[in-house]
Amino acid sequence: MNAPAAPFEIPPIITYAVPGFVLLILIEMIVVKLTKRGRYEFRDSAASLSMGFGNRVFAIAFGGIAVAAYFWVYEFRLFNLGWTLPVMVACFFAEDLAYYWFHRIAHERRFFWASHIVHHSSQHYNLTTALRQTWTGTLGLNFIFWLPLVYIGFPPLMVLMFSSISLVYQFWIHTELIGRMGPLEWVMNTPSHHRVHHATNAKYLDANYAGVLIIWDRLFGTFVPEDDKEKIHYGIISQLGTFNPFRVAFHEWAGIWRDVTHAKSAGEVIGYVFGPPGWSPDGSRKTSASIKADWARRQQETPPAAIAAE
Amino acid sequence: MRIENPFGLAEAIELGGSAAVILLMVVVAAVLGFRMSARIDEGELTRLSEAEGARVEHAVIAQNGRAALARLSDGRLMVARVMGADVSARFAAARSVRVGVKRGRLEAKFADTGFPPLKMRLDEEPKWLTELGGDASP
Repeated sequence: MNAPAAPFEIPPIITYAVPGFVLLILIEMIVVKLTKRGRYEFRDSAASLSMGFGNRVFAIAFGGIAVAAYFWVYEFRLFNLGWTLPVMVACFFAEDLAYYWFHRIAHERRFFWASHIVHHSSQHYNLTTALRQTWTGTLGLNFIFWLPLVYIGFPPLMVLMFSSISLVYQFWIHTELIGRMGPLEWVMNTPSHHRVHHATNAKYLDANYAGVLIIWDRLFGTFVPEDDKEKIHYGIISQLGTFNPFRVAFHEWAGIWRDVTHAKSAGEVIGYVFGPPGWSPDGSRKTSASIKADWARRQQETPPAAIAAE
Repeated sequence: MRIENPFGLAEAIELGGSAAVILLMVVVAAVLGFRMSARIDEGELTRLSEAEGARVEHAVIAQNGRAALARLSDGRLMVARVMGADVSARFAAARSVRVGVKRGRLEAKFADTGFPPLKMRLDEEPKWLTELGGDASP
């Protein structure tokens, strides 16, 4: 392995951030209690925090696979970019773009959704939701979306560093306590933008995939602003009926397995695994696209006065 | 290639510390009174079914208001259960839900791992439940 050494010691960014996470969660709980803004439910929070704990266990056990893949692909890099300031700036943008596409495909293809659904499975939206993370990210090949960066020539540790920074950034946007943030809303991913992303309302589905910068959603046509008149319902289309962390972690994988074992052709297997979440051979299940189409049709059928009254 | 055990002392300390902090936060949440519990009533079932474009034809609601089973106007079954401050519901064709009643105890099972079997005690067994196969063990 001949990756260039970083010119400075890269700190364990996420580990260092954890005390801040804990402090902010405790502050948010107290503010929610005092102001009645936002919502907490201790069983939901326990489930979210358990998922975060399990995420660390699985990261320790399997994270080496992703790191090894980064260094292996780096052997075949196109350019020797090294650790310079312009390269670091470029890597920040490239990592955020890679995150956007990972996140978008994680919502649009069931194989990746099976891991990512965990993060959306709470009907609450608070800072503990940020820690409701998948256990199957590495085994579910999420890291492949960052391999093009090291193939181009960004040092693997630089990519990992900006991935960690992105993850830490995304913690604080999981709150209902912060409204709009003025001009920051134009370029940054904010609590308002990310609330839309966690919503199950038809008009908000499949929107705002950004990590740090919302510019990618604006560029690729997936940006939807928060509408103060539309009350947000959080979670997933088929809400879970359990707080059991093991069911939360593996239920979609179990669903894929069940569908694949009942599939009648190779085409159905591919559809169930790599089709959009909710895909079925006869179209009897709901996908984001069908839900949005139904909603758009209802909007057209409903007289404007009735919509205003809703 | 040799695969090393990734779990060493440092990892054990990290995970042990994380577990302790998680416990602390959950206890704080409980102490602050974030122990909301929704109740299911006929109005809630109506709201859930209308969101699916259907009406409730028949329903049984658990005495404690924490679970319900309903047959909808489009022939589907709706199973609802309280999830903290929220209510979570599943809609499925009647044939894909195994419903059984035994000694006044109803059990409804789905193939969905994300929605464990629903169990509730019934005061009486309505006829429509029997028609669903309610006299058989689930």
